[in-house]
Order: sequence, then structure tokens, then C-alpha cells
Amino acid sequence: MIDKRLFRLPGTKKLLIMLAGLTLLQAFVVLFQGKYLAEALVNSWEQKSLQTIIYPMVLFAVAFLLRHFFNLINTKIVENYASKTSENIRSQLLDKVYNAGPEMISEEGTGSLVTSSLDGIDLVENYFKLIFTKLMNMSIIPPVLLVYIYFQNIASGITLTIIVPLVILFMIILGLAAQSKADAQYKQYTILSNHFLDALRGLPTLKMLGLSKRYAKNIYTVSDEYRRRTMNTLRIAILSTFALDWLTTLGIAILAVFLGLGLINNSFPLFPALVTLILAPEYFLPLRDFSNDYHATLNGKNALNSIFEILDRPSTAKDDTLVDFEWDEDSQVDVKNLQFTYKGVGDNEVSLNIDQLKLAGYQKIGVIGKSGSGKTTLIRAIGGFLMPDQADIKINQQTVANFKQANWQNKLTFLPQSPYLFAGSIAQNIAFYRPDASMNEIKKAAQAAGLQDFIDILSSGYDTQIGEGGRGISGGQQQRIMLARAFLANDRHVLIFDEPTAHLDIETEYALKKPMEKLFQNHLVIFATHRLHWIKEMDYVIVMDNGEIVEQGTPVKLSSHNGAYSKLIKNMRGDQL
Amino acid sequence: MNFFKTFKFDTWVKPYIKQYKGLLITALILGLFTSFCAAALMFTSGYTIDKAATHPVNILLIYVPILLTRAFGIGRPVFKYVERLKSHNWVLRVTSDLRTRLYKTLESDASFFNEHHKAGDIMGLLSEDISHLQNLYLRTVFPTVISYLLTIIGSIALGIFNPSFGFFVFLLLFIEVFLVPLLSVTIESARRAYQKEVKSDLYVQLTDNILGVDDWVISGRKADFKNLTTENIHNLDQSKNKSKAFRRNRDFGLQIIFAAIAICFLIFTNLTMTHNQAQANFVAAVVLAIFPLSDTIIPVSQGFEEWPVYKDSINRLNTIKPIPNTLPKQVELKPNNFKSISINNITFEYDSDSPILIKNFSQQIQKGEKLALLGPSGIGKTTILQLILGDLSPQQGQIQINDLDISQVQEKRDQLFSVLNQKPFLFNTTLMNNVRLGNETKSNIEVKKAIERVGLKDLVESLPDKYNTVVGENGSRFSGGEQERIALARILLQDAPVVLLDEPTVGLDPITENDLLETFFDVLHNKTIIWVTHHLQGISHVDHVVFMNSEKIEMEGSPKELYKSNQHFQELYRMDQGL
Repeated sequence: MIDKRLFRLPGTKKLLIMLAGLTLLQAFVVLFQGKYLAEALVNSWEQKSLQTIIYPMVLFAVAFLLRHFFNLINTKIVENYASKTSENIRSQLLDKVYNAGPEMISEEGTGSLVTSSLDGIDLVENYFKLIFTKLMNMSIIPPVLLVYIYFQNIASGITLTIIVPLVILFMIILGLAAQSKADAQYKQYTILSNHFLDALRGLPTLKMLGLSKRYAKNIYTVSDEYRRRTMNTLRIAILSTFALDWLTTLGIAILAVFLGLGLINNSFPLFPALVTLILAPEYFLPLRDFSNDYHATLNGKNALNSIFEILDRPSTAKDDTLVDFEWDEDSQVDVKNLQFTYKGVGDNEVSLNIDQLKLAGYQKIGVIGKSGSGKTTLIRAIGGFLMPDQADIKINQQTVANFKQANWQNKLTFLPQSPYLFAGSIAQNIAFYRPDASMNEIKKAAQAAGLQDFIDILSSGYDTQIGEGGRGISGGQQQRIMLARAFLANDRHVLIFDEPTAHLDIETEYALKKPMEKLFQNHLVIFATHRLHWIKEMDYVIVMDNGEIVEQGTPVKLSSHNGAYSKLIKNMRGDQL
Repeated sequence: MNFFKTFKFDTWVKPYIKQYKGLLITALILGLFTSFCAAALMFTSGYTIDKAATHPVNILLIYVPILLTRAFGIGRPVFKYVERLKSHNWVLRVTSDLRTRLYKTLESDASFFNEHHKAGDIMGLLSEDISHLQNLYLRTVFPTVISYLLTIIGSIALGIFNPSFGFFVFLLLFIEVFLVPLLSVTIESARRAYQKEVKSDLYVQLTDNILGVDDWVISGRKADFKNLTTENIHNLDQSKNKSKAFRRNRDFGLQIIFAAIAICFLIFTNLTMTHNQAQANFVAAVVLAIFPLSDTIIPVSQGFEEWPVYKDSINRLNTIKPIPNTLPKQVELKPNNFKSISINNITFEYDSDSPILIKNFSQQIQKGEKLALLGPSGIGKTTILQLILGDLSPQQGQIQINDLDISQVQEKRDQLFSVLNQKPFLFNTTLMNNVRLGNETKSNIEVKKAIERVGLKDLVESLPDKYNTVVGENGSRFSGGEQERIALARILLQDAPVVLLDEPTVGLDPITENDLLETFFDVLHNKTIIWVTHHLQGISHVDHVVFMNSEKIEMEGSPKELYKSNQHFQELYRMDQGL
């Protein structure tokens, strides 16, 4: 019932031992609470004076308070453990993101997985909080009470012993029935439950199509259909709780009747009967608690599973075999026989198979190809964001297994299609690669990127908050901030661009060209694009198709014959004026 | 007290309490019965064995209590089961009403999507708010009302036997179900609000960590990467620990008061019910009956604690108000009679604080003409489309369709205009259903024909579910270009004379883009097209190009003429073509 991987987490064993001790204490005070309550009640029943019940009454009160005090301690220990452990998991996840994030995010689908895992940590914390206490209560308290009840009245003991397996059996049968019913409806169910949000998001479209007014009726119909289905499922889903309730209350009722008959027949005095009756609800309580929170624990369990899945993914640690070097006009990277396959994703993903590729000095290398040809994959492999399955890589004559090298990555500036802006000021975003840069340097970089006019009209200037929750910024300005970042990081001499102007309108792109050309100087530039005019700025072009380099050479050479390059350009241009 | 302030002008919670009154009252009564049965079960059991212990001569003397014990033993789970079903049923019924209302309210405000709520996923928030209201009922309102009824009825019942004891117990219960919950919501409100704030900051930072991971890795700033969230995590933990400690201590306090109640009952029964055996037989019954009530009484505080979440939702929903219809008398313009659109010298600003976005803009568009609108982002190209549709109104100038003001044809606007956006919205249903939205009267054959015309036939027929393929959330089953084609098929069925294209190809690669534009202008060849675009790919398809620049038209004319006569256009065109 407990995932074995939980024991891997620090402190789990210690927690369990402490909880076991505490729960055992709790079981005994529950017992005493019942015993002294029964004693007091028997005395009252015998019409004795108030003095005679003071002693059992006080002991009852003490036991009652101790019980809840132990409960408080118990909760405290578990909550501390839960919050520490979930923090620990969060930290491990973040380490994983840093070490293997780019690979995971490049592989389709995992990016969202990481996000949802971080979201799921609250669920996990709740899971920890519930699972240990409830399981411990269930396995310690009822047995202790049962032994005592056997000593008081064997028949009651037997009754209570029989009911528990019955309860569990019923719960399993009904639980399974509910599960299969829910499973059968699940798909339809999620569509129905998301329908409302879908309709709200699609409202402008419905309006354009002249359907929005009529669709209101549909909202009600679907929502009501959802209600009907929910009720149908619920009817069965809560049957298991019903069965548990029914059997336990009936158990108490049967017990009361048995005890009553026994008393009439004079088989035993009042006290054992009363104490058994008082302890019977306590005997069932842990079981009821457990089933009440069963669904909450289920969500947490699933969240924890997906977290473990991510943590258990193999990841290549950043390789630091590359000795530090300076990238200058004589530097050179040789790649031979580089192969890469996306793991476990759809068949339309392109894998990479590069025979031979050379990057040298301050070359400007364009990478072109139709979408899905592997441009981005190649570029991400060079950036060290993807681990090739196999490759012969030489960076300045040093042989390395992949580009995930600290001393390679600190030569790079990476400008993707949609740059990511961090929550923070414009200045902080510009200084991202060099957080220690002076304000003067930042201003100079911003000027070089043509940001000055834009920043001047902002009331907070360089301190304007951007990114998530901050000011929205147009695509053109975002790219300029990236350029400023590259200008500022003047010790990084390798620029990697991934379609940086694909989303921009032509005049913004036109205006960006000048600062970019300036940036190109004294840099190795690797530029993936499907905007043709950039090719004119390149002195070497790689044409990709289907994950392979189908042609490479200078633009002049490539355009001189009717090869892959010429065909691609012709297709991209379309009809001309 | 913010509680009353929230409800003073509330129209999203109060009115619905009156809805489906019968069902609501049934649910509440069933809840009350559940608690009653739980207490009565212990009462009759206690009485049964006390009575039996007096060795009555005839077993029939305890026959009635035995019967009742069984009845309550069965009654409790049955009532609880039915109560849960009824209360869910009520809440889901109200939910259907709330959803319909939210939808209608948003529907009435066409500009809602453009102006007021640009930031964030407001739709997601609103639909979550409705689920919060569900929880408000199920987790707070119902349990609280039931516990209050129980407190009142129980105290009165006791008061009948002994008024002063009844009043005393009422006071203790009052602390449990009213004072302590009130105290907890007062203390926790601020803390919860703070936690929510820190949490949303933390969320932003985690997003920075994950979506910005490429940059982090390249920058080599591992320590900063880890430290980014440290402070907020620490603050959040501290505040949460305070909340947890408060909750633990509070629950302990509630138990102490409950122990006091139990002791009072022990003393009371001993003092007043030990004068003869017949009375004494009820001692255990009365005392044992109070224990199951803790299940109803203790959780009230917890329900109160969640109030801040509900408050935010209620407040947000209450800020949305339906926009009164201010349209002039509507005139029906038959699609076939459409002749021209004229934009006469319009000026537009979003509000008086923001700069004037569009100044003195004029344009004549004749039936069948194809117009392209270009300009840097943020210059107001999309705004012009919204003005043409009548979703926004210019401060000066007029937009006319034939000789009617655009506001006069809003009622049947969908017969005149079709719109295709950057990211066309596809509903998470089958392909057929999505396309058919264009015109619901069309037959399956006509829908399939439209899909064929937009060039999707082969693709669709290669899919396992063919035309019944579910498009997925936001159409995720299909690529961007394919989604545009699906939306185009929808427009073909809609068959309006004017089609507005709002950068439908942005972000697509040039080959896909060329193919798509080819299809657009081919299947829409007899329509009037106003096309907002961000570059010059496919510009040869149009008759007239307008370059907007801040406050004025920079250049306009047919693309061929402009290419010959205008140097800037030439430069842009050559750049676009890589010439």
C-alpha cells in the first residue's frame, strides 16, 4: 500500500518508528478514555452519588485530552516531515531541470510534465500528511482495542473481528465496480467537464459565426448532461463509503442487541457491556478515516509517481572534460558522424544524422531547410541541449563526447525564435549572462541593440519590470533585449540563432537587421532561418533535409547549380511580382 | 467585516440559494437526519443495555429500543448516502445556471476579449471561480448550516428538560460552531492572502526556471538558478507552518471544549437522573449520544478557513456586468446585396489616457476587391478589423457597409463577415462538428466537400477516425497550417461576402505559408478580402496594399505599381524574397 520508493526519502524510517510509538500510546489512551467513561456511567446507573464518579470522570477527561494531545504531536511530526520531504523533492526536481532540463524539454511533452510535477508537490505534501498517520492508526489502534474487548466479552470481540474483513471485502467489490464505471465514462467525462472552458475560450469564434446567442442553450444542456453523468457515477462511487458506514453502524447496532440479550440472561454485568459499546465506534474510526481520504491520497500518489518518473530519467551530467580556451578567428569545431534519435516520441519527429560539419573562426553559417528538416535539432545539439547518441567532436583539437561542456557553453549566446524574458527589470534581463555588469555597460549594450528609444519612453526606464506578471513587450523589442544581452556578453564569441525573426513583421525585421549585422562581427554565427534575406549575410550555408545535410557550401557556389539549395529557395519564394 | 461587504451587492451566490429550494431543503434535512441518527444510535444502544442490565422480566420490554437501534443503525448511512447525492445534485444544477449566466454575460460584451482582460487566462480563472462556488456550498455552507441547526435543535431539546442546562450547553456549542470558526477566519485571512501572493510569485519563478532553462544552462549560473526560489519558498514555508500550528492548536482547543461538554453531561446526568432506576437507565443514553456529534461540529472551523478563496471568486464574478445593448435599430442586409465598405476618416483611441491609435484613416473597398494591410506590430491593424466588424466604434468618422452604418447590421453580422485569426479556435470535438459550425444546416456531404476544397481530404481520410477525428484541446491534434485550413473550411460553409484575415500565416514556414495562401485566395476568389499580414509573402494575390505607420498611411497602391514606383517597398520586397 505504501510505495517502496518512499523509503528512499530521508527521514521516512525514523518517522515511521516515532509514529508507531505515538500511535500505540494513543491506542491506550483511547482505551482508557472508554474504560473510565464506562465506569462513570455505571456508577450513575447504579444511582451512586456525584463523588463516586469524580475519580473516573477526571481520568476520562485526562485520557481524552491526552489522546488529542498525542494527536497534535502526531500531526506536528507528520506535517514537519511532509513539508521537509516535499521541499527536498522540489529541490531534487530543480537540480534535475538544471542538469537535464533542455534535453527533457526538447523531447516533446516532458516540458509540461516538469511543470505539472512542480505543481503536484502540494498534492504530494498532502499525501505524506495523510498516508502515514492513517495507515498507522489503522494498523495499531483497532488491534489494541480488540484485545481488550476480547478480555471483556468474547462474543463482542468475535462480532467486531468478523465485521472488518466483511467491510474490506465490500469496499473492494464496490470500489472496483465504481472504478470500472468511472473508467468507462472518463473520456466523455473530461470532455464534458472541460466543455465550459472550451466554450468560453471559443466565444469570440462563436460570435463571428453568429452562433454565440444560440450556444447559451447548449451550455446549459451540456452542463446538465454533465450533472446527470456525475450523479450516475457518484451513485456508485460513494456506495463503497456507504457500505463501510452501513456495516460499521450496523455492527454497533448488532453489538448493542447482543449485549442487551446477554445482560438480560445475566451472563455478565453492565460494565463490560458498556465499555464494549463505547469502544466499538473507536474501533471502526481509523478505518472510516482512511476511506474518507482515500481519494485525496490517490491524487498525491499519482503526482508522486510522475515526480519519481522524472527523477529516475537518465541524464547526462554536464561534461567538464573540455579545457578552457578562447574562441578566436583560428578556432575550429569538427563534427563527424553525429547521430541523434528522439526517444519515445511520434514517428514524424526528425532524427539527426550528420556526416561531417566544420565550424571555424568568425564564419557566418546559415542553416536552412523546410520545417521539420532538423534545423532546430542540429542547432540544439551544437548548443549542448541535446545529447547525441554518438559523435566525433573536436573543439580546438580537443576531443569531447558532446557539446554539453561548461567551457563550450560559456562561449555561447543563444537566441531562439521566441526569446524567454525573465521576471525582472529590463536591465536584469540584459545582464543575464553577466549579472555583475555595470549600468554603463548595460546602457551601451542597449544602445548597440537599438533599444534606447524604446527605453526612453518608459517611465521607469531600465528598471521597468518585464516578463511574467510584468509589462508586455512586443516581439521586436524582445529580440532587441536578446541582442543587447549578446552585445553585453562580449566574451562569448559564438552566436546561435534559431529563426529569430520568424514572428516579426517585415518592417520590424528590417529595422533589426542593422544591429544584428553589427553583432555578427567577430563572432562565429550559426543561424537557422527560413527568411531568405539572411542568406545574403552568410558566408556558408548548410541545407538540411530529413535530418541530414544535403548540401553545404558558400551561397554563391550553391546557387550556381540546380541542387537542393536552389530548389528550396525557389519553393520558399513562391510567386513573384 | 468583509463578509457582509462581499455579499452586499452580490448577485452570484445569494439569488441561487433560492433556486431549486425543494432540493436544497431536502439536502439540508437529510444532513440533519444523518447527524440525528448517529446520536440516536448511541442513545438507543446505551438505553438498551442499561435497561437490559436491570434484568427486565420480559424481553419484550427492550424490544422497542432494540428495533430503534437497528433502525438508526441503518438510517444513518442511508441518510448520509442520499444527502450526498442530493447536495451534489443541487450544486450541479446551480452550476449549470451559473455557467449559462457567465456565458451570457460574457457574450453580451463583444469588446470584453479585446480591451478589458488582456492579461492572463481570464477564462480559466472565471471557470475556476465557478468550481470554487461549488466547493463553497459543499464544503462550507452545507456543513455549517447543518451544524447550526443541530446546535439550535439540540439546545432547545435540552432546554425543555432543563432550561438553564440547555442554555449552558448552547453557549459551549456556540463557541465551537461560531466563535472559534470566526476567530480562525479572522486570523487566517491575512495569512492566506499572503500565502497566495507568495505562491503566485513562486510560480512565476518556477516558470522562469523551467521555460528559461536553456539560458540558465548557458549562463552557467547554477547557484542563482537554485537561489531564485529560495527566499519565497522559505517565506511560504514559514507562513504555512504558522497556519498549520494554528490549526493544530485550534483543533486541540475545540476538543478541550468538547471534553468540557462531555463532563457537563456526566455531572448533569448524575445529579438529575439518579432518583430512580427508570431515569438512571437513560444516563448512558444521554451521555453517549453527544460523542458522534463532534463529527458535525468540529469541522465547521475548517470550512470557514477557506473563506478567503471563495471571497476572491465571488468578488471577481461580481465585477463582470452585462453590457447593455446600445445598438441602433437593426437593418437586414442580404449578403447578395453587399456592394462596398467605406471607411471615412476614422480616429480611434482605446480610452482618453492612451495615445490615439488610428488617426484620419480612410479606405474604400469594393465588392470582390482584395486588400492587404501591413505595418509594424502595435500600429492598430487588428484594431481596424475590429472597427470594420463593429466590435469597436471610432471616436470620429464612420464605417459604412453600402450606405448603412456598420452598427446597424450587427444582428445578422455573421451573414456578411467571416474572420480568420492567427490562431483559429477549434472546439474540442470532432472535425465534422468544428467545420459544420460555419453553417449548421449543411449536410455531411457539403461539409466534407468544404474539407476537400481546403486540401485536407487526403490527410483526413488517412486518419483512423477520418472525419470524426477529435481535434483535441485547442486543435492540438493538427498542425498550425492544418488548423488554419480547418477554420477556412468553416468559413467556406459560412459563405459571407466579406472575409477578414488577421495574420493567418504568422509563424508558419514559407513553403507551408505559400501553399496556404494559394488555397486561401483560390477558394475565396469571389469574396471581398481584407488581409492583415506581417510580411510580403503572397502579396501578389491582392489588388491593393496599404502600409500603415504611426498616425498615417505610409504608402498604398497595387503591389506591382508600388514595386515599380516606391523605393522603400522595393527594399522590403527584395528583403522578403531574399533578392
